[in-house]
Amino acid sequence: MEARYVPRFEIEDALDPGATLFDGVRATDVDLIGTPVGLQPTAAIRVSWTGREIGATDRVRVAAVHDGQTLAFRLEWLDDSENQALLDTTAFPDAAAILFPSVAGAPSVTMGAPGLAVTAWYWRADEPGRGRHVVAEGLGTSRTLDVELVRGRGVWKEGRWQIVIARALRVATDEPVAQLTAGETTGFGVAVWDGQHGERAGIKAFSGDWRELRLAAAPAVMGR
Amino acid sequence: MPEVKRQLSMVLDLNKCIGCQTCTIACKRLWTRDEGMDYMWWNTVNTMPGRGTPRDWEQLGGGFQEGQPRPGKLPRRRDFGDAWNFNYDEVFYGGKGDRVHLKVVGEEPDWGPNWDEDQGAGEYPNAYYFYLPRICNHCTNPACVEACPRTAIVKREEDGIVLIDEDRCRGYRFCMEACPYKKIYFNHAQKVAQKCIFCFPRVEQGVAPACARMCPGRVRFVGYRDDENGPIHKLVDKWKVALPLHPDFGTDPNVFYVPPLAPPRFDENGDIDESKPRIPNEYLVSLFGPPVLGVLETLKSEMAKTREGGKSEVLDILIAYQWKSMFGGFDRDPGSLTWNKT
Ligand code: SF4
Ligand code: SF4
Repeated sequence: MEARYVPRFEIEDALDPGATLFDGVRATDVDLIGTPVGLQPTAAIRVSWTGREIGATDRVRVAAVHDGQTLAFRLEWLDDSENQALLDTTAFPDAAAILFPSVAGAPSVTMGAPGLAVTAWYWRADEPGRGRHVVAEGLGTSRTLDVELVRGRGVWKEGRWQIVIARALRVATDEPVAQLTAGETTGFGVAVWDGQHGERAGIKAFSGDWRELRLAAAPAVMGR
Repeated sequence: MPEVKRQLSMVLDLNKCIGCQTCTIACKRLWTRDEGMDYMWWNTVNTMPGRGTPRDWEQLGGGFQEGQPRPGKLPRRRDFGDAWNFNYDEVFYGGKGDRVHLKVVGEEPDWGPNWDEDQGAGEYPNAYYFYLPRICNHCTNPACVEACPRTAIVKREEDGIVLIDEDRCRGYRFCMEACPYKKIYFNHAQKVAQKCIFCFPRVEQGVAPACARMCPGRVRFVGYRDDENGPIHKLVDKWKVALPLHPDFGTDPNVFYVPPLAPPRFDENGDIDESKPRIPNEYLVSLFGPPVLGVLETLKSEMAKTREGGKSEVLDILIAYQWKSMFGGFDRDPGSLTWNKT
């Protein structure tokens, strides 16, 4: 799919649920599958999830735009229940993330591998307005680098989540995060966690192998 | 299974516990006063038989069976019991103290951390109960450590204390499901799991955990398991009078209990009847396993020995004439501690 080039926008505007930014942008339906139970990193998780449905969300509609500086995704999926506040010990939040390879050859299914990092832009319903900027080099190794660079906001209405996740294409850091360039193509993936079904960590619906995202070239503009 | 060089342990003599909750409050004041911790009691004392804290925790699964994890359930917040608000202002400062009674403000609770206190079981005149104080067992085979997909829980090599690294914890609560003793709490404000830390900042400076040091009943013994002159080794390994709770849960706890002896029963005529125990053997076996019956025999025969003027090392240890003898060297004055808050 393509991240369409649009004239310059502010992250704040992209996050606004009424934003017109995505108007007319072609969205792509991405099928999701549950993570395999055998891939869960501990025996306790494998035992407790054997025979249970993993990945309650089977499809997410994805649209993306960039202005040469910021890349914003809009994700939409069906979910009967909004899971937000963590008031009970048994409550888990709805969440979603976009995954990128930080370096060529990083595997998506295992969340990277040693020396082959992946970058996640992670949003969750109980943390309005912000996102988490995460890197991982294998299952169970994810680290939140910061909660400023990735921004996210979601609205749940009538059985449907609509969220926007955004970050600058390039960020200043020594960490192995994905640096993106207009005009180039990157792999990406999507994951959705349904809090109502106790989904968290590796218990999620995800898009499998890398999909392709072309970042439309920014037209050469004088004076920018 | 995590390897450790030494293991710190605790032995609790259930024959001495008076259910005063001093331990509970000592822990509360020291460790669980921050935001999101109001419902947490890392130390609980419940009346047995009883449903305990969290409610019916013994039926919530977790731990290991034949080497495999046994699925566990997450207790709900109301199974722990929330920290209720009371109408203190009205009663104490509203000038109506002679008319209004202290009561919970808001929804009427149906459970709390010590809800079935002193109910016990059995019929008069043979009713029975005892108190069971519980903390995290700092298990040798900790289900919480195994369950965490982020290796956020570690069992310290130097002393076997099991700690949650709150920087690595993401609040997933797999540990909370997996711990069969339900001794992990979820902090809703900080979104991390929290639990008893065996007062490691005290222990590192030679002071016993607060629950032990504060206990007016001299119930709690502390020390390294391998310290042959210390109370743990003597009670657990030499005299074998202290047993783990629910060995069937498969986590190999490092908190041990001297099981409760009860007064004799009365028969229909009101005469003492020694033919049957007041606390049913099956009940104690269900908690501590079959060896509990042998322990009760040991305790009874040692008591008989002293009644006839003999000496008993194990009873002398349990009586704890000198409080310092209970702490395996961890007897420094807590007032002399230096605290580094980061
Ligand atoms: S302080 Fe000691 S006697 Fe009091 S409840 Fe706790 S263990 Fe029992
Ligand atoms: S009692 Fe529970 S929390 Fe404590 S070490 Fe054992 S399994 Fe872990």
